Amino acid sequence: MRGIWRYSWLAWCLAVAASTVQAASPEPGLSADGPTAQELVAGALDLTRGRSSYAEMEMVVQRPEWQRTSKLVAWTRGRKDALIRFTAPAKDAGNATLKQGEKMWTFTPKLNKTIRLPFSLMSQSWAGSDFSYNDLSRTDKLLEYYDLEIIHQVEDDGHIIYTVEAVPHDDAPVVWGKEQMVMRDDYVLISQTYFDQSMQPIKRMETLEIGELGGRTFGTRMRMAELDQTDSYTELYYATMDWDVELNDRLFTVFSLQSGATP
Amino acid sequence: MPLKLLTQLSCRNLFRHKRRNLMLLSAIVVAVAGVVVLNSLLRGFQYDMQEAAVSNLTGHAKVLAPGYLDDPSIEKSFQLAKDWRPDVADDQLEGWAARIRIPAVIMSERETRGVQFVGVDPQRESISFLGSVAHRGEALQSAADRRVVIGESLAEQLDTDVGRRLVLITQGADGLNREAGFRIAGVYDADGENLEKIFVFTGIERLQALVDAEVVTEVSVKLVGNGAGESSIKDSLAAFFDDLDVLDWQELEPQAAAMFLFADAAMFIWFLIMMGALIFGLVNTLITAVMERIKELGMLRAVGMRPGAVVMQVVMESTLIMAVGVVLGILVGWLFILWLGEGIDLSRWAEGVEMAGMRSLLVPRLFMNDLVLVAGLSLFFGFVASLYPAWRAVKIKPLDALRR
Repeated sequence: MRGIWRYSWLAWCLAVAASTVQAASPEPGLSADGPTAQELVAGALDLTRGRSSYAEMEMVVQRPEWQRTSKLVAWTRGRKDALIRFTAPAKDAGNATLKQGEKMWTFTPKLNKTIRLPFSLMSQSWAGSDFSYNDLSRTDKLLEYYDLEIIHQVEDDGHIIYTVEAVPHDDAPVVWGKEQMVMRDDYVLISQTYFDQSMQPIKRMETLEIGELGGRTFGTRMRMAELDQTDSYTELYYATMDWDVELNDRLFTVFSLQSGATP
Repeated sequence: MPLKLLTQLSCRNLFRHKRRNLMLLSAIVVAVAGVVVLNSLLRGFQYDMQEAAVSNLTGHAKVLAPGYLDDPSIEKSFQLAKDWRPDVADDQLEGWAARIRIPAVIMSERETRGVQFVGVDPQRESISFLGSVAHRGEALQSAADRRVVIGESLAEQLDTDVGRRLVLITQGADGLNREAGFRIAGVYDADGENLEKIFVFTGIERLQALVDAEVVTEVSVKLVGNGAGESSIKDSLAAFFDDLDVLDWQELEPQAAAMFLFADAAMFIWFLIMMGALIFGLVNTLITAVMERIKELGMLRAVGMRPGAVVMQVVMESTLIMAVGVVLGILVGWLFILWLGEGIDLSRWAEGVEMAGMRSLLVPRLFMNDLVLVAGLSLFFGFVASLYPAWRAVKIKPLDALRR
């Protein structure tokens, strides 16, 4: 399935949803007026700008008939470049996806074949999960397509929990009627719900665990599921996360995609 | 022997066996009427299909960039001067339209489909099905309209409706992906489900802005009527667009063109089968008529009737009954077609019918040429059928005949 809050899925999974204890911004929620909706979302985005990351994760794809657990490693640089490589299970090991700006390639070692994804494939499911290639390739520009508003805030466990409602502009490349994000004042995303255009909730991404990795606190286990299907979802779990790692320029090239290189 | 007397003789012979000849006459009437009705239905089918093929964004002739048919993308496009118009006399030209037509992916909240995304100037689309289909909601208003219209079947597949937003993803002129949201202005109900599932329309200026190029991928020209003179328009277009491909509808819709020719052939085959069956009945009756008149014919020969006149008499009998049968048959067929009136509703089988590129309403079309052909060929077959009985009649020896 496609969809999604339109900055990069990677941005979400690797960095955006992650909030940071190193955040330079003043402690949000403590000022008299509190942050605006724009600040909440944009602030989270700004955290990742110009940074790089290395992550090891597990992805569980649950379907009524089967379940699959994959392991993958991912490198990102800024929000433009990313390389994701499966390491387990054995039959998927080596499958990799490269993103350079809006262009994407996939490499399948068994076929020794690299494909530049045409636009018609971008909405297809990525690796059989609830994410599409599109979800991986979003750029941060898409923030401009929404009207953001804080519709609710409560205090809970020492944090202020904001509910931000995002309504896409009329000609926005967004299929949803609206989206609702529940965020903590330290930018940890609690959940994000997607509504269709008759404002019925369709799918939801939820943070199941919040933890600290690489010195930052963020949602370390997240689940994306369609709301009318209880037995199919995709879960992502971060095992390792490093920020601001030194990455070779050559890592984000088709050559390195094919060679299976690691930095 | 004067012709008048021969005619009189033939007529009287026909009236002598009213019941037998009436049976023969009704067989001829049924056959001719059947052929006329079937012809008109086949013609209706044929011209419907041509019309559907031509209005399927094809036109009678179309200008395309070389290679567009193999790889329909925005790269296979060309620029068209703002003041261009086809070099065709006004009374021949029904209209023309320039469009961008590129593959795209359309997404709703629930579904994703591949479609042909077509940028049009709605004012020019009277030449295609878009100009005449019924819309739920609104049709596109201008070339700058930023909304889309989609087909009813596609709307069902996408689980969406008028007023909702869809996202379309396609490739820009620079090879990078473009995506944008579009409100649905209206949902059209075309004659074919395939059309409804394939074509998504928006204003051409909107689509040009999306792909970042002021180009078109096709110019389609439609002539008045059934497209007579389409080769001359093809030549004049080819002379103007010398670096582009100019194709006529037969080349663009080869299947429809083949079906068109097939319908012509089918009409002849059907006619031959009907007439073949009829001729044996006719020969049989005429031989009976000759055989029971052996004495009479012998007597006529004996008093000096020439063999040629005998042949003439038999041929005349056959032709007379055939002529009456043809006139009545055409009349009956015509009345039947009038009774069919607006056409036969095939909607019970419409799914299959629409797949074959037809409308679900089959409207018979009666062409004068076809009637003349049916009448002429029938009389000709009537004449051929009378030759063998006539030969038998001439072979009668007056002496043998009189002795019986």
